[in-house]
Amino acid sequence: MKDQRVTRIEDLPGPKSQGELEEMKMPYEEYCRKVFSPGQEKTKPESLKGIRWLSTTMYIFTPHSVANLAELGAECIKVEMPRMGDPMRHTSPFNECYLYPLHDSRPMTGTGLGFTNANSNEYYITMDYHVPEMKEAFYRLVKLSDGLTECYRPGTFDRWKQSYRYLQELNPRFIYVWGGGFGYGPKVFGGSYDILGQAHAGLASVTGFHEDFGGHCTKHSNWCIDWYSGTQITVAILAALYWRRKTGLGTMIEFSQVQAATRCLGYTVPLYGRFGIVRQRWGNWDTQLCVHGIILCGKSDYPDEPNPQLKYEARYAVVSAFNDPDFKELCAIIGRNDLWDQYKTLQDRVRPQAQIAIYKALEEWAADKTRSQVVKTLTDAGLLAMPVMNDKEVYECEHFRQRGTIRWLDDPVFGDLLIQSGYSCGLMSKTPRRVNWLWRPVGADNVKIYHEMLGYPMSKIEEWYEKNLI
Amino acid sequence: MCDIIWCKDCDTVNYLDPYYFWNWEGKIKCAGCENVYYIYMIQGHMYKGPEKKAGEKPDILPVYADKPNDGYEQILPGTPGKTRPYNCLPRHIYLGKADMVKFSARGRPVRGWRPQPPSTGVAGSCGFTWDIQKLSPEVWQEYQEKIKKGEVSEW
Repeated sequence: MKDQRVTRIEDLPGPKSQGELEEMKMPYEEYCRKVFSPGQEKTKPESLKGIRWLSTTMYIFTPHSVANLAELGAECIKVEMPRMGDPMRHTSPFNECYLYPLHDSRPMTGTGLGFTNANSNEYYITMDYHVPEMKEAFYRLVKLSDGLTECYRPGTFDRWKQSYRYLQELNPRFIYVWGGGFGYGPKVFGGSYDILGQAHAGLASVTGFHEDFGGHCTKHSNWCIDWYSGTQITVAILAALYWRRKTGLGTMIEFSQVQAATRCLGYTVPLYGRFGIVRQRWGNWDTQLCVHGIILCGKSDYPDEPNPQLKYEARYAVVSAFNDPDFKELCAIIGRNDLWDQYKTLQDRVRPQAQIAIYKALEEWAADKTRSQVVKTLTDAGLLAMPVMNDKEVYECEHFRQRGTIRWLDDPVFGDLLIQSGYSCGLMSKTPRRVNWLWRPVGADNVKIYHEMLGYPMSKIEEWYEKNLI
Repeated sequence: MCDIIWCKDCDTVNYLDPYYFWNWEGKIKCAGCENVYYIYMIQGHMYKGPEKKAGEKPDILPVYADKPNDGYEQILPGTPGKTRPYNCLPRHIYLGKADMVKFSARGRPVRGWRPQPPSTGVAGSCGFTWDIQKLSPEVWQEYQEKIKKGEVSEW
């Protein structure tokens, strides 16, 4: 028992050693570089080490929920269809960019880069778990694991006697995640893709230009709802793990992707509820701030590049000057003081007709300039401006490079790969995320899991393989 | 994610497009031979068939086919008389021909070429490290040349 009358140095705030004292004296920037030290992740502990998770998932959304755990140190086992693997391997991008795995199923087809980042650091086994012969192996995996994420149609695992209702009997601490399109309810049989989520949740209706400008509703080109939903599941899993630590009991998480997309709607839903207003698309402008949008510049930054994405499309810039002094300055720069005389307050500027006039004037001013010239002119004047960067520029950007957001990975199987992966999900000083490998061939760890972990003899594994059960 | 008709006569696997065939009844010609198969699918499940309908006129061709027991010979979408026309063809680089990249943008080896060894272990398992020097000596040699020429960079 500590004597409350005695003051001990270790109880006082502040540095406890010479090393810590030096650390306290460091400028903040230097301190951050030291504690986060991109590239040194593997010298640090993993926060989720000791957690074992099963992934019976496909495509991006549910796999990503497990990849998050794996990047934080959990031991994750991905179960794929025998010979075929996760269909995502054979999906994107356009079967163009294959990386050939080392396995004997579909040897002339590879794993497309669309699979990247959704299943990193996992062990890859194959199992046809709905056949009776494989039930025992599946249940044994469940008994040895903390949880599972699955993405089959609602009730499929229940029919196969491996839903939460059955698995909690085997392992009361088991955390079970179903992730999919619509979930239980009127659309229970509906499958989903990211684009369905964006459409069904009302998200796509507020993106893109207003029809007055010839615009259409727009889905985000990448599967942002897939990635976002996967991360949301991980949040739920971490909460479930904490709950289990308190109660000793597992839980079931039922996660509808189209439901997740509604969360991105922000004020759209309460706006309707309170005022009956259906929120409209407003493109690259903002309904609440002006100037605060993206403009098209006349000239390309890369006029001589053969690549059309560089030659023609690197022409957009973000301009933000919505408070009165900034707007006044902007008007002076573009030689349109009349706009300042006309729209002196934000209330004046955010009105649709005002925005049309202001952005038109901005684009007229930028018509004979490159994006870089526009950004430099505006930032030199103390205004906020940013080029809309493309992949090449992100790759070359010193900001991302210094922070380790984008980096090269020497993948043990696939060689040199450029990834963003978990490194784009925030830095952690003590237990950072890390990427050990991006993915493994179909069934690459069958022997490791079935033989070394579960103890099945090699003859059994070969027999299963011959029967296409694994 | 798609159903198949495996023609036992010519050992061709005909792949059906799950969107098109989700609720569908009709006849499909095998991409490998002249066989015609009747199927009836409801909600993605094969309700009837495939039944051989020799000599009958097919309604449609499969979307893609291959011969797994014959070195995975592929019959790509849009092959006249074999597979369905592929109307959404994008740029020529997206036609399903693999890009045989051997080196990344910074000049280091990637695994992006074929053919690869068909099997490396029991039950599809494989070693953890692709030893490029041992397994693809010619690519390793090419890599050494690139290093000498200064074509390999850190970033």
